[in-house]
Amino acid sequence: MTKTTEALTHADKELLNSYSSQQSTLVLRLAKRSIFRNTRRTLLTILLISCSLAAILFTDAFVRGMVDTMVKISTQTFLGEGQIHHKGFREANDIDLYISDTPSLYLQLDEINEIKAYAPRVLSGAMTSSSENVASAIIYGVDADKEAKVSKLKLAITQGEYLSGVDGEIILGEQLADLLEISLGDRVVVTVSEAHGGDLSQALFRVSGLFSFNERTMDIGMAFINLSQGQTLLGINGVHEIALRLQALNQAEDKSLDFWQSLNTKQIETLSWQELVPQLSSMLAMTEYSTLIVSLIMYVLVCLGLINTMFMSIFERQTEFGILLAIGTRSKQLFNQIMLEGLFIGLLSVAVGLFIAFVFCYWGSIVGIDYSELEMSGLTLNEPIYLVLDISSFALMGIATLVVTLISCIYPALHAARLQPSFAMRKTL
Amino acid sequence: MTMLADRSAEAAINNSADSNKNTVIETSSLYREFGKGDTLVKALTDANITIERGEFTAIIGPSGSGKSTLLQLIGGLDTPTRGDVFLDNKNISHMTGTELSDFRRDHIGFIFQAYNLIPVLSARENIEYIMLLQGISASERKKRVDSIMHAVGLEGLGDRRPAELSGGQQQRVAVARAMVSNPSIILADEPTANLDSKTGADLLDMMKHLNEKQNMTFVFSTHDPKIMERAKRIIRLVDGCVVDDERRG
Repeated sequence: MTKTTEALTHADKELLNSYSSQQSTLVLRLAKRSIFRNTRRTLLTILLISCSLAAILFTDAFVRGMVDTMVKISTQTFLGEGQIHHKGFREANDIDLYISDTPSLYLQLDEINEIKAYAPRVLSGAMTSSSENVASAIIYGVDADKEAKVSKLKLAITQGEYLSGVDGEIILGEQLADLLEISLGDRVVVTVSEAHGGDLSQALFRVSGLFSFNERTMDIGMAFINLSQGQTLLGINGVHEIALRLQALNQAEDKSLDFWQSLNTKQIETLSWQELVPQLSSMLAMTEYSTLIVSLIMYVLVCLGLINTMFMSIFERQTEFGILLAIGTRSKQLFNQIMLEGLFIGLLSVAVGLFIAFVFCYWGSIVGIDYSELEMSGLTLNEPIYLVLDISSFALMGIATLVVTLISCIYPALHAARLQPSFAMRKTL
Repeated sequence: MTMLADRSAEAAINNSADSNKNTVIETSSLYREFGKGDTLVKALTDANITIERGEFTAIIGPSGSGKSTLLQLIGGLDTPTRGDVFLDNKNISHMTGTELSDFRRDHIGFIFQAYNLIPVLSARENIEYIMLLQGISASERKKRVDSIMHAVGLEGLGDRRPAELSGGQQQRVAVARAMVSNPSIILADEPTANLDSKTGADLLDMMKHLNEKQNMTFVFSTHDPKIMERAKRIIRLVDGCVVDDERRG
């Protein structure tokens, strides 16, 4: 008896499974065929969604590329990904606050794996004078070899030669040279206040090179001499600043790394580029936030477009839905059918959108988009913006688009499922 | 509420005479009103009809007399303002949406004026649609579809979509779809209105033959004299009221 009951239960289950599978197949078949009934409208809908997805991904890749480019320009031109100063130097710009125990600090820096290169500098406000004119500038004393590994100073030389370590060499920004009305080989006198007392100190230099960073404030306000002569001129036995080049850019954000702690002592402070130029960091954060807003706007438009399309499709097929309901289709099955239609449209749109986005983003990552000479947040975009393809963004936005598509279909699907057959078939039975 | 209504209906049916055992459709004080106040339209007023199993009935009347409304209420496609509809001795007026869907699927076949086939399904798929909903096995479906297609003269046209069939062929598919699941009632709304007279007459003969062979109950809403000629019973409606109920030998 028990066996029979069990057998019946098993048979019933099989029957139920087969019944449910048949109905799913039926709903699937209807949904699949229905989406291409009005091919033009379906294709336009797919185009709308896929282009929106592609636009969102393109914007995302562009913003990532722009952020990378701006950070690269900001850090690699001269700033470095981090800087070491004597505590209080940055706030007071006091040349007396210099790092004196440089040999042991250099040894420490040499042993930190995350630091790829470093460049010690002395700096001070100075008066530069030529036979024709005078101008204020910031004079930097740099170690020529080490500086070349951290900043783009060597690459920025447009005329003459880079520093060779010989006393008397000076490199000026092109615009500063124009202001002083001097050129290569001309003489220039640099006057600074010495440390420990502020006595004036002067030295004569001969222009050995001109540079251009394509950024006005740097090209008109900076001059470079050799580190040892800078130290002599200022009367100090140390450095004001050590610029750091890290192995990877993201190490600048990760303050949990040991070296950040070891380089922050009672005497010295080490700051990342985000802390050195907080305005750039904030601007980039805002840019990422604006991408989110653009994405949301796009998704709202996609939602509205899709709801409109699905309603058009539903109104067009209202009689048919009435018939389906009349001959015994349950409301839930009709709801599932419309949702499945939405799912198919969503899947096709996501596939097409990801393909379009990949093609354009890949092209943008190879060719780059030229924004040369455009200045943003005090930075001149002097190199093309190369788009950055991010697989996680593609996956996330693809899934988000699919979810948005399905959400958009809920309202039209509910509307169809709630139709009263007599109303839907008003003109028939 | 539904259960109470069903019980009262069952009690009423049990107390009835033996003739009621054959009753497949019964409406009791059926009213259907649309709008309210000044715009109130009484589409059906106190309709009481009883239709026996196997009857070939035509509901006739001028436009706006309430034929389609009555058919919709009998078919459970609309809800009455007042009154009850009993089909196969079950009160459908108080069923839930899902119960009504399942009831329609298992007990009623519909034939519409404009054929109303599912355009994305082939003729064969349209016919087997209801059986798929019912969960009938593939082999049984095939057997029944082949048999009904033979009966309505659609052999060889199974793979065509509705758009590839003539009006007469489409209506044959609609008839086959309505009958293939062996419902107890077939409701047909002006089934010949869109057909030429010869095709219409052929279709009616076919339905009459199936009615006699399978003892299915047919209820037509029509203006067509050809249907009236073949009907065993004619119910006449005027202004939403049943004014005449004529049975023929």
